[in-house]
Amino acid sequence: SQPLAGCQAAELQSKVVPSKQILHSDNMEMEPETMETKSVTDYFSKLHMGSLVYSCTSKRKNK
Amino acid sequence: RMEASCLELALEGERLCKAGDCRAGVSFFEAAVQVGTEDLKTLSAIYSQLGNAYFYLHEYAKALEYHHHDLTLARTIGDLLGEAKASGNLGNTLKVLGNFEEAIVCCQRHLDISRELNDKVGEARALYNLGNVYHSKGKNVASAGTHDPGELPDDVKNALQKAANYYEENLTIVTELGDRAAQGRAFGNLGNTHYLLGNFRSAVLAHEQRLLIAKEFGDRSAERRAYSNLGNAYIFLGEFETASEYYKRTLQLARQLKDRAVEAQACYSLGNTYTLLQDYEKAIDYHLKHLVIAQELNDKIGEGRACWSLGNAYTALGNHDQAMHFAERHLEISREVGDRSGELTARLNLSDLQMVLGLSYSTNNSMMSESHVVDNNLNGTRPRVGRRHSMENMELMKLTPEKVQNWN
Repeated sequence: SQPLAGCQAAELQSKVVPSKQILHSDNMEMEPETMETKSVTDYFSKLHMGSLVYSCTSKRKNK
Repeated sequence: RMEASCLELALEGERLCKAGDCRAGVSFFEAAVQVGTEDLKTLSAIYSQLGNAYFYLHEYAKALEYHHHDLTLARTIGDLLGEAKASGNLGNTLKVLGNFEEAIVCCQRHLDISRELNDKVGEARALYNLGNVYHSKGKNVASAGTHDPGELPDDVKNALQKAANYYEENLTIVTELGDRAAQGRAFGNLGNTHYLLGNFRSAVLAHEQRLLIAKEFGDRSAERRAYSNLGNAYIFLGEFETASEYYKRTLQLARQLKDRAVEAQACYSLGNTYTLLQDYEKAIDYHLKHLVIAQELNDKIGEGRACWSLGNAYTALGNHDQAMHFAERHLEISREVGDRSGELTARLNLSDLQMVLGLSYSTNNSMMSESHVVDNNLNGTRPRVGRRHSMENMELMKLTPEKVQNWN
């Protein structure tokens, strides 16, 4: 029952209601990036169209 | 002979990367490059995949190097589609490195070529990438200052508005193409862009769409992301009850997915939400859960925030002894991590608490009793009006991007 202390404590408590700003931890969850992909097998599709590196495929076909 | 072995090594690299072992994949691709090949298209594919592998391994300088090699090769052999792809990948990498202007040039090139080739899929992907670059650019400038979402300088607003436009353009195309997965990604990032712009209702609408698509795919990570983002938006709409419901869903999924860092984040968000609801017992419960995981993950920043939050909640309940304990921990940790503003805040909190405790324990009602509790272990001078600002000081405690990466 100490008015001053009570007043101080009340004042302290009233300050505790934080602003949304402070509370907000700013952790937006972003979606993943998309990277463009290439494959060395794109190269095989080229071969059907009469690529220069024919020797290589004949070796591959023998495997 | 050499040709085949280069190809074989590259194929093994592809297999390993597809299986999720990028580190091993990189070794095989680098071996393939060592062996070498006459076929520039094959080499370009190897460079591209090396770039992507390094990107996923977060080694962006190396990713940049290889995507740049790929771009050079694609131009050399006049492979326009290959050039578009390399430009897009280079753009994404430059974005992560914070080089936004060059990233925009590269992503724009990806877009232009795709349109030239009448490649709708490529066009949509380039638009998504451009949206991401402008989003990052806006967020990056914004994080230099501290303000609520929606209170933004013009350059930030412009970048974010551009991002939103690109995502919308992307959505138009991927909706036509019926590509639901791409729609999900665009909705998620569009929602986050609206959130930063302060369009919280639009953010909710976008994240609801994202949630729907995540459920369609049974993608629980995406579902969890959507819940978390919905919670954030509802906080700023002032609908704390709804926010708490979404954060609880986030927490549930985080536990199912066994992701401790994400679980910690959900507990922290819930603690904050219950603070806003002024239900301090529940707030304490969640902040303690957050504290335990932060300690477990050796996350000092998180631990400091937990202590600060707990100190506040205990103060609100009038439990000054506990408040004191956590304020002291907060001070210790702030010193440990070199967080000057956190340290200042902790000092102010402590001196306030000492004041209250001193007055409570004092038998003397006069103002003179204040002199008993003059900072004995605090040598920080307190500005008279400083107390009012001590909460605002916490704004400076916001995580920096590097720390956020550790946190995620």
